Amino acid sequence: MDGTAFLARVEQYHRDGWRLALINVTTVLPAASAAHGAPGAHGAHGAEAPAGEAPAGEAPAGEAAAVAALPMGGPGVFEIAWGFARDREFETIREQIEAGTTVPSISEFFGAAFLYENEIRELFGINVTGIGVDLKGQLYKTSTRVPFSHAAVKARLAALAAAPVKPS
Amino acid sequence: MKRTTIPFGPQHPVLPEPLVLDLILEDEKVIDAIPTIGYIHRGLEALVESVEYTEFGYVVERICGICSFMHGMGYAVAMEEIMAVEVPERARWLRLIWAEMSRIHSHLLWLGLGADAFGFENLFMHCWRTREEVLDIFEKTTGGRIIFSVNRIGGVRRDISDTELAAIVTKLQQLGASFTETARIFETDPSIRHRLSGVGILSREDAHAVDAVGPMARASGIRMDTRLTGTHLYDRLDFEPVLETAGDCLARVVVRVREISQSIDLIRQAVDRMPKAEGAPIEVKVRGLPTGEVFERLEQPRGEVVYYIKANGTKYLERFRARTPTFANIPAMIKLVKGCDLADVPNIIMTIDPCISCTER
Amino acid sequence: MSFFSRSPWILHYDGSSCNGCDIEVLACLTPLYDVERFGVINTGNPKHADILLVTGSVNERNIEIVRNLYRQMPDPKVVVAVGACACSGGIFARAYNVQGGIDKVIPVDVYVPGCAARPESIIDGVVQGIAALEAKQRMTA
Ligand code: SF4
Repeated sequence: MDGTAFLARVEQYHRDGWRLALINVTTVLPAASAAHGAPGAHGAHGAEAPAGEAPAGEAPAGEAAAVAALPMGGPGVFEIAWGFARDREFETIREQIEAGTTVPSISEFFGAAFLYENEIRELFGINVTGIGVDLKGQLYKTSTRVPFSHAAVKARLAALAAAPVKPS
Repeated sequence: MKRTTIPFGPQHPVLPEPLVLDLILEDEKVIDAIPTIGYIHRGLEALVESVEYTEFGYVVERICGICSFMHGMGYAVAMEEIMAVEVPERARWLRLIWAEMSRIHSHLLWLGLGADAFGFENLFMHCWRTREEVLDIFEKTTGGRIIFSVNRIGGVRRDISDTELAAIVTKLQQLGASFTETARIFETDPSIRHRLSGVGILSREDAHAVDAVGPMARASGIRMDTRLTGTHLYDRLDFEPVLETAGDCLARVVVRVREISQSIDLIRQAVDRMPKAEGAPIEVKVRGLPTGEVFERLEQPRGEVVYYIKANGTKYLERFRARTPTFANIPAMIKLVKGCDLADVPNIIMTIDPCISCTER
Repeated sequence: MSFFSRSPWILHYDGSSCNGCDIEVLACLTPLYDVERFGVINTGNPKHADILLVTGSVNERNIEIVRNLYRQMPDPKVVVAVGACACSGGIFARAYNVQGGIDKVIPVDVYVPGCAARPESIIDGVVQGIAALEAKQRMTA
C-alpha cells in the first residue's frame, strides 16, 4: 500500500469531521477469494468496492501444519477496512496487504485508533507502525498465538476438516 | 516524586466483570492508565469457521448477555441485508419494541451497579427490582429472561398480540411513573452530586477526539445517536436524543435516567403507529447461501455498535466482526482516568458503563 | 429445605462468560429472589468466602486467577459452576481461546445448567452447595 497517499486520505476524513467507526481486518484465504466483490445492498456502503481479487500465489494445500510453526503467520493476504462515520454516512478505505507488510498507524489523526491497532497486531500479526499508545502485545493473551493469522486459520480449518462438527 | 503502579482488577468490588487497568500514580494522582483485557476473550469471531450462518445468530447473541437482543437483531438485520430479504413490517416493529425494552433493562441494570459503586446500596436494590418487571415482560413475550433467541434471519419467532402490546405500554408507563422517585434521587440527591458532579469531565472536543459513542458522547453534548439515521423504523417515530452538556459523571447518569423514560415513550409511539395487524406474517423463509458483505450499525444501550459480515457463498461466513460500544469508549475512559484522583477511578470507570464481554468477544 | 447450620458467604468470579449468567447471579441478590434471606452474602474477599460461584469458562488469561482465588479460600470450600459455559465451555467450547469448563482447573461440587442459568436454579445450586459444604465439614471435623 501507498502509506503517504493513505495517510493523506485519513487526514482528509479527520478534517471533514468524520469519526472512526471501526478498523476491521479479514484474513483472505485462497479458497474464499473467488467470492469477492458483490457488496451488500446497504445504501450507505463504502466509497470503494473491495479491492479486487486476492493475488495468486497462495500457499499449497497441506502446508498448514508446517506454516503453523511460524510466529507471525506466513504468506497470505489481509484485507483491512478503515470505517469512518459521520451522521448517516459510512465510508471505508480498503487496502489489501501481503502478510509481513507494515501498515502505518492512524492514531495521529484518530486517537482512538490505538486500541484497534494493538488488537490487529495481536490477533492478526499485522505490524502497525507508530501506534499512539503501544501496549506491547499485552492487550490480549490468547492460547493460539496470533489466532487470525493465515497459519492459525488454516490449522483450525484443517482440524475441522479432519474431525467435522455435527450440527446439533 | 515517587511513582507507584496499582493494578485495578481483574477482581474488584465495583467491577462485575474483569478488566485490568495498571494505574500509574504520583501520590494520589493517576498519571497513566494501561488497559489489559483478554480475561473474557473467547475468540467467538472465529467460530464462523465451524458454525453455520443459520446458527451463528445464537453465538452472536451471547457476545453479551445484557444486549443479547440487540446483538441478535443486528446479526439478523445484517444477514437480511446481504441476502436481500424483505422482512415483514410487523416483525420490524416488534424488533424495535424489544430493542427499546432492552435499553430500559440495561440502563436500570447499570444505574443499579452505578449506585452500588458510589455507595447507595438501597438504590441498587430499587433499580434491580424495577428491572425485574421489564424482564417479566421479556419472559412473557419471548420465553427468556436474558437470552431470547427470538430473532431469526427473515423475521422474529414470536408475535405479541395487540391487546398484549397495549398492556405492555400500560405496564411500562406505570413502571415509568414509579421510577420517577428513583430518578429524582439520581438527579438531585446532594450526596450523589458531591460524588459525581465535576468528576471525570469529558469536554465536547475531547469526546469528539476520542470518538466516544452513546450516552458517553451525549453527556458531553454531542448529538450523536444511530437512531437518528432513521433505520430500523426509527424514522417513523418522533425522536430527539437526550443531551447533557456538563460531560461529567453526573451528566452520564442523568442521560441514562432520562433515556429510560424516553424509551418508554418510544415504545408507546411504536405501539400507536404500528398497523394493528395481529396475525400478519412475522417472518419469511430464507433459503440459499449468502454472498456479499455488509456494515450494519445499531444504537445499543451503551452506544453505537458496528457489525461487519462477509459471506462467500458457503454455509460458513468468511468474517464476522462486531465493534461494540465499550470498545469505542475505552479510549475515552483512559483519557478521563489520567489526571484524576485514585478515589475517583471506580466512579469514572463505572460511568462509561463498561461491558467487557462485548469488548473482548 | 434443610436446616442451615451456617450462612455461607459467596465469592463470585466471572470467567469468560457472556454476562448473561453474571447478571442472573446478581439478580439472585436483589429483592425479587433475595438469597440474603438465607444468610448468603456476596463478598469480594476470597478469605471470607465458603462458596466460589464461577460463571463462564476458563481461558488462557483467567485460568491463573481462578486457581488463585480457589487457593486463597479457607477449607472447607465448595465450588458451584453456574451456566453451560462454566460447566463445559457451552456454546463457546470450540472457540480458540476457551479451554473448557471450570473443572479443567479446580474441582467442582455443583453444576448448575442453563444458558443463561435461571435465578431459581442458581439458588438451588447454592443450597446444594451448602449441603456439600456441611458434608465436607463433617468429614474434616
Ligand atoms: S452459559 Fe450462556 S448465558 Fe451463561 S455465560 Fe455462557 S453463554 Fe452466557
